[in-house]
Amino acid sequence: MEKILDMVASQAQEAEIYRVRSQVKTVKFQANRLKSVDSASEEGIGLRVIRKGKIGFSSTTDGDEPRLLMQRALDSSQFGQEAHFRMPPPGKVPLINCHDSRVAALEAQEMIEEGNKAIRLVRKKLPYLECEAGIEKMVTEVSIINSRGLSESYKKTGYEFFLYGFLAREEEFLGVGEEEPSSRYADYSQALAERLIELVSLAKRRVQISSGKHPAIFTPKAVPLLLKSLKMGINGKAVQKKVSPLLKKMRTSIASSSLNIIDDATFPFGPASSPLDGEGIPSYPTQIIEKGRLKSFIYDLQTAGLMRTRSTGNAARSYDSVPSPSTTNLILKEGGVRLKEMTQDIKEGILVDQVIGSGQGNTLMGEFSVNLDLGYKIEDGKIKGRVKDLMISGNTYKMLKQLVAIGSEARFVGSIRTPPLYFKEINVVG
Amino acid sequence: MKAHLTSCLNKAEADYVEIRYEEIHATEIHYVGKELERIGEWEKKGGAVRAKFKDGWSFVSFSDLENLEKNLELAVKQARLLKPGKIKLAPVAPHDEIISLDLRKDPRRIGLEEKYFLLSRYNQILLSPEDIQTSDLRYTDIHTVKYFVNSEGTYVQQEKMDMVLGMTAIARKGDNIQTAHEGIGGTEGYEIIEGREKEAEEVSRRALSLLDAEPFPGARCTVVVDPKLAGIFAHEAFGHLSEADFLYENKRLARIMRLGRGFGPKELDIIDEAPIKGEGGYYLYDDEGVPAGKTYLIRQGKLARRLHSRETAAKMGEAPTGNARAVSYEHPPIVRMSNTYIAPRTKTFEEMIGEVEEGLYVKGFRGGQTNLEMFTFSPEEGYIIEKGKLGKKFRDINLTGNIFTTLSNIDAIGRDLILSTGSGGCGKGSQYPLPVATGGPHLRIKDVVVGGR
Repeated sequence: MEKILDMVASQAQEAEIYRVRSQVKTVKFQANRLKSVDSASEEGIGLRVIRKGKIGFSSTTDGDEPRLLMQRALDSSQFGQEAHFRMPPPGKVPLINCHDSRVAALEAQEMIEEGNKAIRLVRKKLPYLECEAGIEKMVTEVSIINSRGLSESYKKTGYEFFLYGFLAREEEFLGVGEEEPSSRYADYSQALAERLIELVSLAKRRVQISSGKHPAIFTPKAVPLLLKSLKMGINGKAVQKKVSPLLKKMRTSIASSSLNIIDDATFPFGPASSPLDGEGIPSYPTQIIEKGRLKSFIYDLQTAGLMRTRSTGNAARSYDSVPSPSTTNLILKEGGVRLKEMTQDIKEGILVDQVIGSGQGNTLMGEFSVNLDLGYKIEDGKIKGRVKDLMISGNTYKMLKQLVAIGSEARFVGSIRTPPLYFKEINVVG
Repeated sequence: MKAHLTSCLNKAEADYVEIRYEEIHATEIHYVGKELERIGEWEKKGGAVRAKFKDGWSFVSFSDLENLEKNLELAVKQARLLKPGKIKLAPVAPHDEIISLDLRKDPRRIGLEEKYFLLSRYNQILLSPEDIQTSDLRYTDIHTVKYFVNSEGTYVQQEKMDMVLGMTAIARKGDNIQTAHEGIGGTEGYEIIEGREKEAEEVSRRALSLLDAEPFPGARCTVVVDPKLAGIFAHEAFGHLSEADFLYENKRLARIMRLGRGFGPKELDIIDEAPIKGEGGYYLYDDEGVPAGKTYLIRQGKLARRLHSRETAAKMGEAPTGNARAVSYEHPPIVRMSNTYIAPRTKTFEEMIGEVEEGLYVKGFRGGQTNLEMFTFSPEEGYIIEKGKLGKKFRDINLTGNIFTTLSNIDAIGRDLILSTGSGGCGKGSQYPLPVATGGPHLRIKDVVVGGR
């Protein structure tokens, strides 16, 4: 890496090399049994240069041809956009918990046993269910060096357990998926099996719900549907291009005063935790929404430069992509209301768990209109049964202002950590 | 390459082994508004070993070809974790073939500067109307050489070019922000990307016109869909459930999806056909080295065949169809569609609209998804149909259906088949984006749940 940097240094004002080495092991279960054991190893490097004030980039998996890589990056800089930043000098790197040696040492055999255990637990209660599972462990080493002397490297682990149950009945399919993403190892088999069993058992009965507006509870699994719009709206790039609906909303109230959201790459063992972002900026938490008020957008160096502000350490990338702002661990702070209490509060409403068609509408504006893949009717404070063949629609920004309650039981869904959310109303068409 | 791969292959101890290797070289240009986010070339090389052993598979992917023998050993070692049993593969005669590209205008012979000028011109067009706030313009040409060798004596070397041009315009008036998109893609040369000034203009015009459209309130009604949506409909509503890996080990589902079962009107044919030159899903051999062909999924309204890998075909006692595809060397091949379309019939568009008392005409494509039974597909815009005439324009529409009812609610099939590749691709499991084409004629469907705001 240093050799390439030396080579390119004489021909560019600034240069940066980003290298990723990863090892992944996955065990996959299909039709209730082990189907496949997979391994993947990859190494690639990305070279970013600033030459004559313009940005150039190229990437390769072939470390034997540094000259070609360099030439491509320099060629690219002829047309690249003007740089509005300088690469960061060495700085103090925080100590972040994102590597678990237990994950690194984990054997495929152990993963197989846990997968078998989860499926056994589910099938004991629900023998007619067809189960799939996937357990994946990942060890990644990221290195970043630049011409201003920054030279950092860190190791990160990832551990993900996915469990899925499927039941095909004439004219009614039921598919329920549950997952735990983390960078730390734990035996998730029982917790996931229990969650799956509960969701399937509640869906046994089919019930009807009338079209119109109903109160709604979103389980953690369903919350990312809503936050998709918010993630786009707080992205520095959308702000810079003036297409974020939050453009002029800084420090104003955009959500119920009970809502607090932080972007936090320092969250211990979160799926997106890391000590540095993709440009070498040390990680720190950024308050996005505080008591319902918009506090910050997220930026990488270039977008921050264009907006005359500072990077929030949100440059996301891999070796083969240029940095671009993105959230890391998006943490929605728990409230004090249990899911059961929320349910008891509803006379007639729905519990939303899985949807299909997310992201197909005008997501930027906050609009969504999706098919309710897995949802339940709540009647007189109790979950009555499954409702289906419905569309639900609403607007994220309107709904965040009409939050009735925030749940107390949070968990990670992808890189979003959230409790269940209870909203005043959602539109149902059936 | 052939000699090297074959010599390594012979050393592996398993029931069946295959090695894939890919060399990928691409040019990418990406504008977001006035800023050029990315321009330039990149490359990626890597391979994978897949071994069948007892009751399962072992798969190893890597980016270092030098260590192929070590990776083969790892694949064999890993395979010992699999449980007793036996997977069968449908027999396929060994092939030895080298397929080279034959492009009218090879993008690799066109300089970065020329591509840059073309894209800059499109971007200017996209951004020129006053109320267009920003754009998202992507160009990629991806050249891939794929090598495949297996322990049954097949060697296939295929060269391909994937071209993509994605144009998005974002219009804004006060708090109202609207997006329009046009995707152009295919496996032909640079010529399919050139001369798209009109499309760029059109995208901006559509984004602007959406500013004035009203959000659709939601309804249950008769819907006429354009060929783009008909294609997505074929892909989401039925295509995915035809992929045999969903049902080859699920007896209940296989019973429900028995061949011969009626799913639509007698006029309905849905076809998957990889060897259509130029389309996104074009290939001659799949990633298991099986020759590709034309498969009727629905013929005369009845379930005719399904899409197979060698494993699913053997398990269900059917013939392999050449539909095992991997998005790259980093993934094992799984059952996928290629170019999927609804065959045209006789109705004209005017007849289709003219016969509707009350309904909705929808066009343009935003996306689609399925959970096998239920599916969604979203148009960019819609027009109300009243007494056989098109009326007011609406936006924010999402259609949903159910495989058991919606297909049989098709009551008219148009005469104007159009296939399109678009700039996206299909996602299944963790494999995205896989180039596919979808298409159909205009379709009329009764009793569709239409979500709105």
